[in-house]
Amino acid sequence: MTPSFIVSLKVLIIDVPILFFMGTLIGWTLAKKQFKGRTLVDTLVVLPIVLPPSVLGLYLLMTLSHIPFIRESRILFSFPAAALAPLFPSLPIMIQAAKSGFCSVDEKLEQAARTLGDNELRVFCRVTFPLARSSLMAGLALASMRALGDFGVTLMIAGNIPERTQTLPLYIYSRVESMKFFEANLAALLLTILGIASLSIVKKLEGKHAGLS
Amino acid sequence: MQDCLEANFSKMLGNFHLDVSLHLGEEIGVLFGPSGAGKSQTLNVLAGLVKPDRGKINLRGRILYDSASSTFLKPAARKIGLVFQELALFPHLSAIENVAYGLKGPNKWRLAQKWLDKMRLEGLYERMPHQLSGGQKQRVALARALAPKPDLLLLDEPFSALEGPMRRALRRELKNLFLEIRIPILYVTHDVEDVCSLATKVFLIRDGSITAAIDANKLWDPQCQENVWHSLGWGTLVQGEIITEEGNHWLSWPGGKLKLLQPTGPAKGKVTVFIPPDHVKLLYPDLPVDPELRPNVMEGKIIERIEMNHLVRLYIHSAGIEWHTEHPKDSYSTLNLHEGQNVSFSIKPSMIYVLTQECDPPR
Repeated sequence: MTPSFIVSLKVLIIDVPILFFMGTLIGWTLAKKQFKGRTLVDTLVVLPIVLPPSVLGLYLLMTLSHIPFIRESRILFSFPAAALAPLFPSLPIMIQAAKSGFCSVDEKLEQAARTLGDNELRVFCRVTFPLARSSLMAGLALASMRALGDFGVTLMIAGNIPERTQTLPLYIYSRVESMKFFEANLAALLLTILGIASLSIVKKLEGKHAGLS
Repeated sequence: MQDCLEANFSKMLGNFHLDVSLHLGEEIGVLFGPSGAGKSQTLNVLAGLVKPDRGKINLRGRILYDSASSTFLKPAARKIGLVFQELALFPHLSAIENVAYGLKGPNKWRLAQKWLDKMRLEGLYERMPHQLSGGQKQRVALARALAPKPDLLLLDEPFSALEGPMRRALRRELKNLFLEIRIPILYVTHDVEDVCSLATKVFLIRDGSITAAIDANKLWDPQCQENVWHSLGWGTLVQGEIITEEGNHWLSWPGGKLKLLQPTGPAKGKVTVFIPPDHVKLLYPDLPVDPELRPNVMEGKIIERIEMNHLVRLYIHSAGIEWHTEHPKDSYSTLNLHEGQNVSFSIKPSMIYVLTQECDPPR
């Protein structure tokens, strides 16, 4: 189990910061900026949530194997692909959470900050971000769990290679296939504990958020 | 008085055309008009939160906006304090952090503390906005706007959520503050009492344009007042004569009699009274009438019903004149108000403003 746990951990270490920064940036843009094609972007961004992971994985496989640079770098069916795959189903969760968090920040507060001498960056750092923070953290907890638990997309573009691309969910699948239920249950228990822990974080943050408003 | 603020600008907002021209010295100007006349938008343009289409705005010699030279100063650079109707205190910051928000340098905490003390909020420095009462929040919002020493203070119906006595107390405080800080203040309201007790200059605004700019004392001058109030195009003007019967004051007019409170001005003679639309109360046919409203009950017919964003405006024909009324959209829903319907209505004596030269509202 340990090698799969390490693979999963490495995936998380890479993906959590990416989820946080990209989700925050895209969520903020969708919440606060008016631009052409916003509705389209808004729809495309949630699409991965409703698509079956195998469909998402297939599209990624087709796309990545046709982009020259990526095709030559051989990242498909290697660790980089295992790190990349979970982002697709989990990033939309983070974007949605960030978007609704930023939308809930009253524009009047940002305007007040502007009249008090703040430029846009300072408004974001001193008002918008602190007020959306609990939504962002709750979104990050959920998105990270989704990334950790990804099965379909990872299988489609990274395969199930022990010690390289075999994450915990894939490990469970392999153990069950070879009838080794004890190890499968152990890994499942670990994931369940992590899931409960992240949900309790979300609950706590939601409670804090409600107290503020 | 020398003008500190000179603003001329126009802006299309959907179908609404805002076309404002106003000059303000070191004084309290009140921007007075009905809901939806463009009062808040005017403040937003002055503060730089909304960019006008063309025009020019000068503040103490600084050009804030000039369409001819494409100058547009961002809100951060304008040195204009703005108190929002909703106050917009930062909910994640304590009272003192709110006040210090616009301050810089090593003295900022001391200065913020000084402002809170000035607003009689000693000992509440660390309170969060949700732990403050309505009046305390108002004071924090005022302190926050004034602490960075702005060149102009804008107030958007800041006291509208407060009860009478609290409003009066805050108005007095604002007036005292003005005497101390001496910056031009522009105060937006649709409350006649605010006009009476604060203004030195009154701008009447209607349908996006300033229809009159007058000194506050002239507002009550019988010579020009009627034109002025007519230009507002909002509220009801009734002409008549003040008479005294059994110690009570009445306005005797061709349509009948209206009970008044003790007027502060000349207690007899021909006068005009102003009745704000939001104080004309419709009566339910089957319910007992509030004793205060009983003397002034009238019957009339709704000739026009206009639904606005949150308000319903009615024009009621009664005793030969048109009465303007205004109420929130969800009020009177059981009356099922429609054009052509007969209704009874009344006005509290304390809400009938006798337009005398004394600029003091009835208590």
